Amino acid sequence: MATHEEIKEALEDFTENFNNNERLKLMNKDWNRVVVIKATDVDSVHSWILQDGHLTLQEGFLDDPDLTVSADSETLADVFYGDVTPIEPYNDGTLRIIGSEDDITRLDFICLMIWGE
Amino acid sequence: MQLKRVLTLRTVVATSAGLTLASSSFVAATMVANFVLGDAAWIAILIGGGLCFLAAACFSELNGMLPSAAGIRLYFSRAFNEQVSLVVSLLYMLIVVVGVVGVESFIVSQVLHEAMPLVPPYFWIVAMLLLVTALNLRGVKMAGVFQDLVTYTLIAILVGLGIFALYKTGFKLNAPLSPGGAVGIVNAVALGVFLFVGFEWVTPLVEEVTQTKQIYRGMMIALGILSVVYAVFTTAMTAAVPKDVLMVAPAPQLVLARTVLGGLGASVMIVVILFTSMKTFNAGLISVSRFMYASAREHVLPAIFSKISMRYFTPWVAIITLFFIGLLAAAMTSLTKNYMVLVGLAAAMESIVYTMAGLAVISLRRREPERERPYLIKGGYLVPGVTVVVFAILAVAVLASDPTALLYMAGAFLLAFVYVKTAVPHLKKKHEARRTTSRRRRRPTRAMVEVEGERGK
Repeated sequence: MATHEEIKEALEDFTENFNNNERLKLMNKDWNRVVVIKATDVDSVHSWILQDGHLTLQEGFLDDPDLTVSADSETLADVFYGDVTPIEPYNDGTLRIIGSEDDITRLDFICLMIWGE
Repeated sequence: MQLKRVLTLRTVVATSAGLTLASSSFVAATMVANFVLGDAAWIAILIGGGLCFLAAACFSELNGMLPSAAGIRLYFSRAFNEQVSLVVSLLYMLIVVVGVVGVESFIVSQVLHEAMPLVPPYFWIVAMLLLVTALNLRGVKMAGVFQDLVTYTLIAILVGLGIFALYKTGFKLNAPLSPGGAVGIVNAVALGVFLFVGFEWVTPLVEEVTQTKQIYRGMMIALGILSVVYAVFTTAMTAAVPKDVLMVAPAPQLVLARTVLGGLGASVMIVVILFTSMKTFNAGLISVSRFMYASAREHVLPAIFSKISMRYFTPWVAIITLFFIGLLAAAMTSLTKNYMVLVGLAAAMESIVYTMAGLAVISLRRREPERERPYLIKGGYLVPGVTVVVFAILAVAVLASDPTALLYMAGAFLLAFVYVKTAVPHLKKKHEARRTTSRRRRRPTRAMVEVEGERGK
């Protein structure tokens, strides 16, 4: 089981990688979304706000998200550190993403561009 | 937690019915009519629809307990194992798409060739596949409202034309309950199932609705609407046009429209066929390219299929590969003109998947009895049990009546099985080796910290 701090660290790492990638920022400049990330086994909720190609992370819950990502803490940390692709836990039911299919695919594309295969 | 964008029941019904209503459905409807005596096709169609309700109930229970766009890939891996799930998913995608693209493209090319005889039929196939591929590469999707409008208009046209044809021919049921021999009925019902192929492809939308029950409600309503549409339209076709004429027509719906409404009816029907086929092609290409992308991302297909367009965020390698597969399927169908075999093949594959859905419900009730089930089929094991038996019989009936379809099915199964047994472990191993060297995993786990702490003391 990962801790809240570990998940936060993974998400900060992901956020930093996103914001340092000019191409990714440009590609997502029109994709304004709110993503809530919630651990199912520890008390840990974070929200991402993607606005005009810039990604901001904040602790806690934001209303009306476009996507919600939930999984056990270990899976969340692994996914956002890029140690596993989101598709693997998603297909075995460990990771749950609620939102439009296009948004889910876009989120996976972003992971692929940050972490590679 | 409330999402910003949610789908309505109207869109869920339109999606389920829209994925099912293909131009090739009417070829299958004609085949159904040919297996039974007189004007009794509606009986086989309603039985087929009724049986799909059983399968829909199984999908609803599975979808409720495992709400994920991964669909059967997830249900079957949980209920059986990873390899079974992969073999069936690969076969399902391949056969249904090749079948649908092959038949649809053949129908459209013949229809357009008839309207413009100077242009060779294969030109239309290439043009249509190119157009759909270009739309997919650019990530263009039909807007929800437009998609709803197209589907409901199509349904209204079909029912309207069917009722008008019945009225014009002064239709009376001659032998309403005399469909003929048992073998003919079983085959008719099995092909009747093909009419509803794809109703369950709406289950991936579970992540876009507020309540999972909207998915099973939508599926059931769509099946009810489709049963009525097909029953009315098929009865009208056989009432207005002789069966032997319908059987040799690649687009029997066009024959009915021309017979009943003349040139104007034919023109409207050509537009309907074009819209229907484009919609089917597009939906098929989107679903399967995303499936190929996801499979490559989980290392069960070569990594090249996970390549994405930097401009449009679409899996371009998967889309272009499907374009060539579609082209090949269409070319084979045009050359052999044996599109009926693809209908049989897709019907058999659907029946196999529905059988497995029933088995998955039974298996998961035993393996995961504690898991929450927002939709639980009443009556214990009766419905999933009947689903398994009925669809297994239908799959056998279709394959036994068409040796070519049986041969293709056996070949495809063998190919998928060998691929999953040999290539997939190789791809996974290769990825695992790469992952081990590039692992970014940060901090030690809490257990390791405690061990380190103990050592320090």
